[in-house]
Amino acid sequence: MRTRNADKEKLVIEKAIELIVSDGFEGFSMNKLARLCNISVATLYIYYQHKDDLIKKIGSEIGTAFFAHTLKDFSADMPFPQGLKKQWENRISFSLQNPKIVECFEIIRHSPHGEQILQTAVRPFKQIMADFFTNAVDNKELQPLPIEVFWSVAYGPLYSLLRFHSEGKSMGGKPFSLTDEYTNQALELVLKALKP
Amino acid sequence: METNLNHILIFKTNIDQLSTKCALSEALGKQTGISQWSIDHEDCDRVLRIVSETLSNQEIISFINAHGFECEELL
Repeated sequence: MRTRNADKEKLVIEKAIELIVSDGFEGFSMNKLARLCNISVATLYIYYQHKDDLIKKIGSEIGTAFFAHTLKDFSADMPFPQGLKKQWENRISFSLQNPKIVECFEIIRHSPHGEQILQTAVRPFKQIMADFFTNAVDNKELQPLPIEVFWSVAYGPLYSLLRFHSEGKSMGGKPFSLTDEYTNQALELVLKALKP
Repeated sequence: METNLNHILIFKTNIDQLSTKCALSEALGKQTGISQWSIDHEDCDRVLRIVSETLSNQEIISFINAHGFECEELL
């Protein structure tokens, strides 16, 4: 009698993330994954229909975890500066706690399944973020801007700092590690720039 | 509803890309007892996955063989 084994499923997801990060989307195979998990290929196929099914499921799982983390202690009707600060804090803590997961999500996002995964995982999140933006504009806390310009200014600096941090170096190989001081400095400038 | 894991049968085959109209995919779709089927064409073993409450491994193997393809249980 076969039963669903939650530990085994967790192990499969963990190892799949490692394998996608180390071998890329193209280099990933069910055979390699089964070997890494010490289970038979057939067992893997019991849980997942095929490679694409597995990648899609992992992608939506990671996406959902990321968006849930990003919305922790956040609401669309927060004053804009506090709300944006919370977004920065949540995105930073998720990246720092889950560097492999973030890397894996980037790979899946750019794979042929990226669009579909984002569509499903992002939907509830997108509405909250859109409401946050509209409320801030209505309350005259934020300049009305095309959403792409808003996003680039609001989060671009954060993701640049996080990239320096994950690489451990900035321009010209200068050692870098993200501190609260750097984060606050950048966030203050962003808030100043976005004010009407 | 979640699939009962005991009803999932896994096989190694030589079934290359199937078109939706070809005889085998039509037959798999029509076969009573098969509630779901898929083939991983990207995998070197062209893994066939069948969900069936009633059919045995041997019955599936004979069915696939009858359509001119190799099929064996993947262990």
